[in-house]
Amino acid sequence: MKHQDKQFTETQADQFGRASAALLSQSAQSLPAGIKDRLHAARMKALAVRKAEKVLIKKPAFAGISGITANWNAGSNGVWDTVGWMAPLVVLVFGLIGIAQWQDDSRINDIAEVDAALLSDDVPPDAYADSGFLAFLKNGPLSDSGNDASDSVQSK
Amino acid sequence: MASAQELSDFLSSVEKRAFKQAIYAVRDEDAALDIVQDAMIKLAEKYGDRPAAELPLVFTRILQNRIHDWFRRQKVRNAWVTLFSNMGKKTDENDDFDPLESLSAPDDSEIHQDGAQKLEQSQLLQALESEIAKLPVRQREAFLMRYWDELSITETAKAMSCSEGSVKTHCSRATQTLAKALKLKGITL
Repeated sequence: MKHQDKQFTETQADQFGRASAALLSQSAQSLPAGIKDRLHAARMKALAVRKAEKVLIKKPAFAGISGITANWNAGSNGVWDTVGWMAPLVVLVFGLIGIAQWQDDSRINDIAEVDAALLSDDVPPDAYADSGFLAFLKNGPLSDSGNDASDSVQSK
Repeated sequence: MASAQELSDFLSSVEKRAFKQAIYAVRDEDAALDIVQDAMIKLAEKYGDRPAAELPLVFTRILQNRIHDWFRRQKVRNAWVTLFSNMGKKTDENDDFDPLESLSAPDDSEIHQDGAQKLEQSQLLQALESEIAKLPVRQREAFLMRYWDELSITETAKAMSCSEGSVKTHCSRATQTLAKALKLKGITL
């Protein structure tokens, strides 16, 4: 029963509210002319400072790089926007990969040159690990005399 | 996005109602006009690009904020006036003063109505507006938004920054108070 009473009261309240609103609307329509004029002037003033609408720029199908940049600046959505921010990233990634590849190749070539020089030399590579041979290399006169001897043999 | 025409139509449809709501609150014609103008300018300037469907709620909220701002300024001003002057002792007169009595001037569009009927309706409106003006602020806001602005309970709660339960309570109390006050004057809606 209480629930029913409450429902009834709410319904009555709604009816009362709507009836009041209807009366108030009538009252609002019968404002003095001076007030209406001032409200009209206020409305015109408000419309004069209205926030400008955003103008959507139609994008060309093939805009090129300049078009991409322009679209980026315009901040609009679309395929060219995606391309606009993806392209520099792709270029950067491929550039980094290329630089890394070039550095690897350069290092491999350097190592290959050293290996080739060692293998093509008369002295076996193991000799460079021998301390006696290193001491022999440091003594310049011995090596010079050796060269002189080989030169004399070749001249004969 | 609301076009200029839609915004103009919307403002045209709400300006009179907004003025009445403002005057119920501040009881000063010039202040009410200033409040409505400020609210319309703020709406057009800041929210003019919103969809037309969002405008009623946004405008109601701006209007209520403007009214609250006016009361805050008045409070500060009154504090200073009270501090520096001992001449303002006419508070009783101010309480009795009801500017609404000077508002409901007869309009030419109602000239076809019967004199007695017109007088009766005028008295009814005066009584209703007078009682609405006497309501506590929150009750009046909830009542006017809910029934006159035709906002839903959720929208009213959002505009008043309170819960939906509070809106229901405010509306219920407002309708009961108004119905009781009008009944005492022999008026039934």
